[in-house]
Amino acid sequence: MNALLGISLILLLGLLSGKIAEKIKTPAITAYLIIGILIGPFSLGFVPESIIAASGLISNFALSFIAFSIGQSFSKGIFHQIGKQVIWISILAAFGAGTFVVVAMMVMGLPVYVALLFGAIATATAPAALIMIVRQYKAKGRFTEILMGVVAIDDAWGLIAFSVCLAFARKIHFNHADSVFQVMGSAFWEIGGSFVLGGVVGWIFSKFASHIRNERDLLIYTVGTIFFTAGLAIHFHLSVLLGCMILAATIVNVHKESFRFFEVLQTVDWPIYLIFFVLAGANLEINLLVQIGAIGAVYIIVRILGKCLGTYIGAIVSNAGSDVKRYMGIAQMPQAGVALGMALIVKSTFPEWGAMIFTTIAATTIIYEIIGPIFVKIALHKANQISADLKHQSTELAH
Amino acid sequence: MNIILGVGIILVFGLLSGKLAEKVKTPAITAYLLLGIVFGPFMLGFISEDMLKVSGTISNIALSLIAFSIGQNFSGKIFRQVGKQVMWISILEAVGAWLITLIGLLFFKVPAYMALIFGAIAAASAPAAIIMVVREYKARGQFVDILMGVVALDDAWGLIIFSLSLAVAKAMYLDLSSSLGSMLMGAVIEIAGSFLVGGVLGIILSRIGLFLKNQTDLLIWTIGVIFVATGIALHFHFSVLLTSMFLAAVVVNLNNESFKFFDILNHIDWPIYLIFFVLAGASLEIDLLSKIGVIGIVYMIFRIVGKFLGTYLGAHIAKSDDDVKKYLSLGLLPQAGVALGMALIAKEQFPQAGNIIFTTVAATTVIYEIIGPFFVKLALHKTNQIHN
Repeated sequence: MNALLGISLILLLGLLSGKIAEKIKTPAITAYLIIGILIGPFSLGFVPESIIAASGLISNFALSFIAFSIGQSFSKGIFHQIGKQVIWISILAAFGAGTFVVVAMMVMGLPVYVALLFGAIATATAPAALIMIVRQYKAKGRFTEILMGVVAIDDAWGLIAFSVCLAFARKIHFNHADSVFQVMGSAFWEIGGSFVLGGVVGWIFSKFASHIRNERDLLIYTVGTIFFTAGLAIHFHLSVLLGCMILAATIVNVHKESFRFFEVLQTVDWPIYLIFFVLAGANLEINLLVQIGAIGAVYIIVRILGKCLGTYIGAIVSNAGSDVKRYMGIAQMPQAGVALGMALIVKSTFPEWGAMIFTTIAATTIIYEIIGPIFVKIALHKANQISADLKHQSTELAH
Repeated sequence: MNIILGVGIILVFGLLSGKLAEKVKTPAITAYLLLGIVFGPFMLGFISEDMLKVSGTISNIALSLIAFSIGQNFSGKIFRQVGKQVMWISILEAVGAWLITLIGLLFFKVPAYMALIFGAIAAASAPAAIIMVVREYKARGQFVDILMGVVALDDAWGLIIFSLSLAVAKAMYLDLSSSLGSMLMGAVIEIAGSFLVGGVLGIILSRIGLFLKNQTDLLIWTIGVIFVATGIALHFHFSVLLTSMFLAAVVVNLNNESFKFFDILNHIDWPIYLIFFVLAGASLEIDLLSKIGVIGIVYMIFRIVGKFLGTYLGAHIAKSDDDVKKYLSLGLLPQAGVALGMALIAKEQFPQAGNIIFTTVAATTVIYEIIGPFFVKLALHKTNQIHN
């Protein structure tokens, strides 16, 4: 099968599965992932090799778009209103998930450094799943804004937590005394570099944006700049997600008519997301599910409990509404690429336990990815972010 | 450089070069091609091997979308108005280019079988370049309708002429008299297969399209079906261009709201075309320009003369306006992928002469691709198809 047939198969099956999901009130993203699992190399094997090989490229395209659309929620106006809540909740949710998992893993009898690594990975969430559901159901409101902010910032805390834990784990296990500062330094380089990159490109983008008048140029300019930023981030080993988020956050705060850039992107991005999630499904190693074991099961449950408790405390400290207290925890359930990326680093750093950690995370990711979106939808629903007439309708493009 | 960075740079610089081109009243596509040449392996070497590797897939995607948008001009209504002119002009300009180039080259002592193949390649034009110029300047009118029709049909005639000529040339050179029938058969299968795939999928696209209410679904559906058609065409070695054109032609005649399929693509396709033309520029073998030789120059000039005379005659028979007689052939000058594809086949069939043919066509393509769009714009301008 050639690449074009493969892409068309993904698009058409994705469309069909999305329609079926709508009928049974399930988020489209869950349907895309399941289709991906079905046609992927671990079951039917319909997806041609050439496309599986291009998954990495496609996921960078999609993630850069996703991060860019998340970034628009960081306008000064919104931040003044909810900034305090976003910061408190995101820190405490990450801390909660991390500590709970570390303690639970130690109780399970794992070495301390392995427990630390699991804890660090537990902090990560998957922004992509969230934004897909917000888009599909046109969720709007304070709860949605806070959630977007938490999931975005989360990424930065996750990176810091992970590099600190990685450094400690290395110290404990290999007795590398100096590595703490080195690893911390690289986390700050990654975060700081992403900020500088997104900020500088965003600022330049905004300066020239007034020359771009027609729709066609607008689309090229926006897409080109996003890819440019993502490409530089990859080149310098920075975070694509953070770089593109900051890009959008800068544009939203510097340019007055920034909504044009986000709107034009919404006319084109959905097919890319569809392909991205079907391929993500195809790359899930479902045969690992049988190896999930007691540790995997504990990880899944305890991580959620930690997120919920952390969110609860964060919401109390920052005087958030009761909806936030109750439902925002479960909305942070999805876990995907960021966690897998961390697990991959662990695998290559610790020969002894790395493979087991990676397999467990890869297996739990499958469950989080498929079940997570349903919980996000429930959370948005309970918090009344989905208006009644739109509940059963999937996304409509802005003209 | 990673691919995503490369794409970002191509888009940003493509936009910039397009803006500059606008200032000097040059079609954007020329700017994209020039940018590609500058970025390409013969100058800056900026576009990596990785990117040129995926350019095959990108060009299939771009060409299928371009052909799809050409196909919308084949509505019953437009065809009743200009069908007769399109038929006459397209047949005669293709045959004209073939015949005049053939005679011209024979006059310069080029072996008959080679001249025959050059003539056949001369019949081809480049729909992509032509439609880009029409789109950029939002050209509208009867001249544009006729031009679009001619450019589309051109492709089918070109295929037939090429396979016939190739068969005859082989018979002359290698003395295989049996191949004529099978060659022609090959062309007929390619054309008929493209029609069949385009037709069946066109029916499906428009029938199921009726149920899709929101824009996102419509976009996914339209792109999905176009890619299925293209994928099948590639698999069976049919023509991607003809398949996609026919797909659109069927949709336009079956569905009253067919404009929605075309409108939705109009929102998204330009960045793909931009990347396509920059990559096309990067893969132009400009180092061949010095090897263009007498044959190349004769080929270029006589092809133009042939196109002009054929168009003139066709327009005369079909009683077209003076504008069509005079200027339509200017709109047919660009030559690109189709001609190169033919030259590649010739190269495989004839070890020695084939090399000369391929090199010459690859070199003249550089010139036709860069100058062609200017003439298209000029033709549209002269015939008042550009409204502001």
